[in-house]
Amino acid sequence: MSPIIEIKELSKRFNKRLAVNNINFNIEGGEIFGLVGPNGAGKTTTMRMLVTLLKPDHGEILVGGYSIRKHPNDVRRQIGFMPDSFGVYGDMTVQEYLDFFGACYKIHPHQRTHLITDLLDLVDLGHRRDDMVDTLSTGLKQRLGLARVLIHDPNILVLDEPASGLDPRARVEIRELLLEVARLGKTILFSSHILADVGELCSRVGIIEDGKLVALGTLQQLSERVMPHRQLHIGLLDRKEEAQTMLQSMTGVSEVRAVENASRVSLEVDFMGDDESIHQLLAKLLAQGMPVVHFSEESKNLEEVFMRTTKGIVS
Amino acid sequence: MESSTSTIQEKPIVRRNFLSRIMDNPVITKELKGRMRGRQGFIIIGSYLALISFFIVVIYLFLAVDGTIANGNPGFLQIVGKVIFSTVVLLELLMLGFIGPALTAGAISSERERKTIDLLRTSLLSARALVFGKLSSAVVFLLLLIFTAIPVQSLAFFLGGVGLAEMAVSTLMLVVTAIFFCTLGLFFSSFSQRTLIATVFSYASILLSFIVFIIFLFFIGVLGSYSNPSVLVENIVTATMWFLFSTNPFFAAVMSEAILIEDQSLFITTSNIIGTSSFPLLSPWIIYVVFYTILTILLIGLSVYFVNRPDR
Repeated sequence: MSPIIEIKELSKRFNKRLAVNNINFNIEGGEIFGLVGPNGAGKTTTMRMLVTLLKPDHGEILVGGYSIRKHPNDVRRQIGFMPDSFGVYGDMTVQEYLDFFGACYKIHPHQRTHLITDLLDLVDLGHRRDDMVDTLSTGLKQRLGLARVLIHDPNILVLDEPASGLDPRARVEIRELLLEVARLGKTILFSSHILADVGELCSRVGIIEDGKLVALGTLQQLSERVMPHRQLHIGLLDRKEEAQTMLQSMTGVSEVRAVENASRVSLEVDFMGDDESIHQLLAKLLAQGMPVVHFSEESKNLEEVFMRTTKGIVS
Repeated sequence: MESSTSTIQEKPIVRRNFLSRIMDNPVITKELKGRMRGRQGFIIIGSYLALISFFIVVIYLFLAVDGTIANGNPGFLQIVGKVIFSTVVLLELLMLGFIGPALTAGAISSERERKTIDLLRTSLLSARALVFGKLSSAVVFLLLLIFTAIPVQSLAFFLGGVGLAEMAVSTLMLVVTAIFFCTLGLFFSSFSQRTLIATVFSYASILLSFIVFIIFLFFIGVLGSYSNPSVLVENIVTATMWFLFSTNPFFAAVMSEAILIEDQSLFITTSNIIGTSSFPLLSPWIIYVVFYTILTILLIGLSVYFVNRPDR
């Protein structure tokens, strides 16, 4: 299957600043792709080139096989774009707002009526249909923005910081909505500073810094690349020193750290090996009569990957 | 909601006439609805008509009280009718110059300020449709002002002294002026980031054009005053001055009216009206309409270019 988005040797310069520097990656249809990076890394510039708002200085982007340079309208038909901060027309009702954008996408008036009802149900705004847009809260405006993005039934959603400025509840609601939209078969490319959201939602992640794509892959792949060892947490009733010495002598263990904990003794173990090796490590501890009360593996954390991958460079 | 991308990607070839294309432009509907939804629209129309009515009453009372015109003059009512008509037209020209740019100076820049421009530019709405939509909604509103003033103007018909030709020419000039001033505001709005800047540029350019007009007149006057200029020089000076006067809304209106009264001609006059030699000249309203139509088309083209230009 050919990728739905192909970004090839993409570069963009603003005066002396190279905002995007030779970026290459593909996104497959149906993927949820997260683009993360520090402020000024080039995420928004990349997205704006993808949605035909900016012209690249070098390179090409193909969306569904259409070039953003040669066929911008064919690209626009396939993409729904939500910028990081977007305005709404406060002097319109929710229904009029969606109807206006439906008309901008040349959707027939009869089709628009049904479409708007469906979309308002999807984003749970049906009860606010006749309210003025200005009276909606930030979270509801964001949901309306998502409905607007879907008005022309695009294959791809490009969302720049969709959860920025939202309270925790609204953030969770938007996340749920995105998952629901993804279930409809849409490809989603989104950027976010909230790494927990990206980690939870995305099938693949691209980390961008100083205009360059510094990492690309699934969270698992990225974690393995930057953190080749696995981290184990072992809780004991007592015999901390004995367990520490024993673990340090085992194959695959690179480091053992004691963690101060008021209620119980805890050890953090950096371990290289597969699941079978982990099972053997636990079996040995139990065979020696170690009073193990907790045994777990640290889940892969995008925050850790991000911190280890990026250097904090802002172009 | 089922995925039905194919329905949107299809581009049926449907022949549509100009009117249905205008009616299909979502920007026109949105803007007109927005303009008439609040009190703003009614306040502008109300104030506009109140001001015109006030001036008409003042003029009527002034002429009625001034016995030198009324006493024993059988054509008194026609004079009153003519003065009222001319005053209303000049007043309308002046007000269109103020209201036109105000309606459009924020047309595109306010989309930038409101951060809605990206939403429009990533839709299938073309830059041309956006510009035409914004312009049309403002022009339609100004046409509403012009046509709501017709009943007030018709007082002049009741009193007499005003012909159908004068009415037609003045309405044409008002419509061309309305479209031009709206286009001027839209042009500055098309590349300005802020509405305030676009508004300042619009009014400053109107003011500047008046200053340039006066400087040119002065310059040409000095050139023409040299002793014994050749016939060719005199004719060039006359034609240039004629053109300059014709591009000024007030002079063009007054001179067209004067030619209509003096020469009884709607289209052609002779140059001896301002010079010594005699050669035919187009009536100022024709030059005015052609000049501002060309300028309007040029500004619309530039506005579309600026809106369509990708971000740098």
